[in-house]
Amino acid sequence: MNPIRKKRLSSILFVFLFSVSGVSLILYSLNSNLDYFFTPTELKKVQMPPNKRIKIGGMVLEDSVKRNTSKISFTITDYENSVIVVFEGIVPDLFKEGSGVVALGYLDNEIFYAKEVLAKHDENYMPPNLDIKQ
Amino acid sequence: MFNLAFKSLQEAIYMSGHGIYVWSVLIIVIFCLFYAFTHYKIRLRQLKKRLDESN
Amino acid sequence: MIKKFIHQFASPKTYLYQINRAYKYIFYSSLFIYTFSLIWGLLFTPEDFVQGNSFRIIYLHVPASFLSQSLYVAMAIASVTYLIWRVKLAAYLIIAIAPIGAMVTFIALSSGSIWGIPTWGTWWQWDARITSTLILFIMYLGLISLHTSFSNHEKADKLLSWLVIVGFVNIPIIKKSVDWWSTLHQSASITLTDRPSIDPSMLYPLIGSIIGFFGLIICLVIISSKVQIIKRESTKSWLKDYV
Repeated sequence: MNPIRKKRLSSILFVFLFSVSGVSLILYSLNSNLDYFFTPTELKKVQMPPNKRIKIGGMVLEDSVKRNTSKISFTITDYENSVIVVFEGIVPDLFKEGSGVVALGYLDNEIFYAKEVLAKHDENYMPPNLDIKQ
Repeated sequence: MFNLAFKSLQEAIYMSGHGIYVWSVLIIVIFCLFYAFTHYKIRLRQLKKRLDESN
Repeated sequence: MIKKFIHQFASPKTYLYQINRAYKYIFYSSLFIYTFSLIWGLLFTPEDFVQGNSFRIIYLHVPASFLSQSLYVAMAIASVTYLIWRVKLAAYLIIAIAPIGAMVTFIALSSGSIWGIPTWGTWWQWDARITSTLILFIMYLGLISLHTSFSNHEKADKLLSWLVIVGFVNIPIIKKSVDWWSTLHQSASITLTDRPSIDPSMLYPLIGSIIGFFGLIICLVIISSKVQIIKRESTKSWLKDYV
């Protein structure tokens, strides 16, 4: 490669590294703010001001869903810590025990009052009659 | 592997309630591809014509 | 040898000659593969054990998402080629790809939104994957409008190439967003390192739809690059015999 092209290549690399470092600094300073939701364990670690609207996510604990009339309550867990969620409304079709869920609402006295409940599914796809293969 | 997943045409269109989502995405994709191909083909024809006229 | 080959292919003349020969084959074979895979995926594969029939959107969503990133990578390679070797054809390719990239990213975003309604229960959320893909879409639009606002082509090409390189940092972010942060979007089902977490009966039509869509988009890039070459080389006398 002749010297002019070498110089151009190095300036391209320089510009790219510059933008990478700039963006990574931004991402680093935003860090946890980029997380779409808190897990119950993260929620325990941070001091959350009461009545602040947040999202929590995890799995719906087996046998924790209780429905009475239009209210539904269940436990979100990451298998270390868990949070009890109360929600009034219609949950998505994919909401069920043992599957992923994200709830938007606020924490009050260890109970999470959800305004919105979203289902989160994983990357596994298979026909219904097959068992989950590892 | 090549068994039809639906018993009838109605069932295939309805897809137990999810048909509206699946088919509307299909329509968007086909429309975009069709639009893009015709757009560029027409543009190409115009440019060719202009090229022929200029010489 | 390699240098000679690159120099030859980098001339718009040879490029036009080659793509004119190859276009028909690429177009019809990929149209066949795409249609076949879509019919297979939408009507013949069994439904998913969690998502039911709505999972079939995967055959439309994943090829578009994959291509939206691949096209940007192609633009970045063209930019580097243009900036280092001043290959004109590379500059034509950048601006030929940008509108197609925007369209494909639009398909990825809208199909994802529609897929989100029955599965997640929402059509839009500001999670890392969705937001970074939206940024990609805006970047494509920005590059297009920037290029059209310039009257000096050479200046526009150079500025565009630099911006493509600066914006390239977004690509690994999109790719890794589902691993770095907690997102509503699930992680990748097909990776280079692990066994795909998708059943073979659903995987084969997915691979087919990706290959078919890829081919169709290549055809679009070919036509659009032809448009760019005619626009920019319109004074050349050889052009008439090659279009």
